[in-house]
Amino acid sequence: MALVAPVSALQDALAAENAAIFGYGVAGAHLTGTGQAAAEQDWTGHSEARDQLVTMIARLGAAPVAARAFYQLPFAVHDAASARDLAAYLEDGVTRAYLGLVAVSDQQLRSFGALAMQGSAERAAFWRGSTQAFPGLQGS
Amino acid sequence: MLAASAAALPVLLAASGCRSSDAFTGPDPLAGPPSPAPDVLTLQAVITAERALIRLYQAAIGTSARATVREHGLEALLTQHQSHLTRLRSRLILPAPAPSASASPAATASGTPAAVSIAQLRAAEGASAASLLRRLATVQPALAQLFASIAASDATHAMVLGG
Repeated sequence: MALVAPVSALQDALAAENAAIFGYGVAGAHLTGTGQAAAEQDWTGHSEARDQLVTMIARLGAAPVAARAFYQLPFAVHDAASARDLAAYLEDGVTRAYLGLVAVSDQQLRSFGALAMQGSAERAAFWRGSTQAFPGLQGS
Repeated sequence: MLAASAAALPVLLAASGCRSSDAFTGPDPLAGPPSPAPDVLTLQAVITAERALIRLYQAAIGTSARATVREHGLEALLTQHQSHLTRLRSRLILPAPAPSASASPAATASGTPAAVSIAQLRAAEGASAASLLRRLATVQPALAQLFASIAASDATHAMVLGG
């Protein structure tokens, strides 16, 4: 894979964070107790990551991509089990997006992306109940 | 006819007024294989570390109670490390060793392996993830992505081991 432009990779990460924020709102509505608390914590984490990415993109002189009003969910979410599946799905998307940042030439952005991948991979493992060999890559 | 022997080559070159430095503009192929690229050296170090992690898991599985192995899913984590090793080795293309080169000694188990605790596995996973992150800066993008993905996997392993 060739080097990736930093702004483009940051915008992809921001888009994934925006989708995760929307999705956790849906997932949280179908969870209770510790599951709901975990979803709220993750929603807050993604909101903070979104704010950080917006700042980083603006510093590079670009306009951050805006969140959509609505996101098409990958499957129907109607109970706790499907809510947990959605949370894992969202985290997988965030991990893939941050993987793009690891392909830029800027060393700090590479580390930033790789660290963010660890966070989303851990959250995905929590929601899925199992780990993956290659988070963010095909053939996980 | 292309049957000139290697022994006859200097004679032919001399007869044509050529020296080997005139005939070859790149690295001298008679001087042996070129030095490995930095990415190759980094990859070899990561492969060595991955093998060590696999041996650690094998020792933990071999010396722990079955209930402990099951509770922490050590077999599944070992399988994922073996997948890491396979993927890392697929990125490494090395020339065949020279006939005179001696094979590296294989690791042979002698006696009973020392017991490995869950805490040791957790620490090794964390150290592996940190080491892979430090190596991101110097390698090509595709290799950096593989390292970052494996580091993320290692971080999840540390988490399920109680980290």
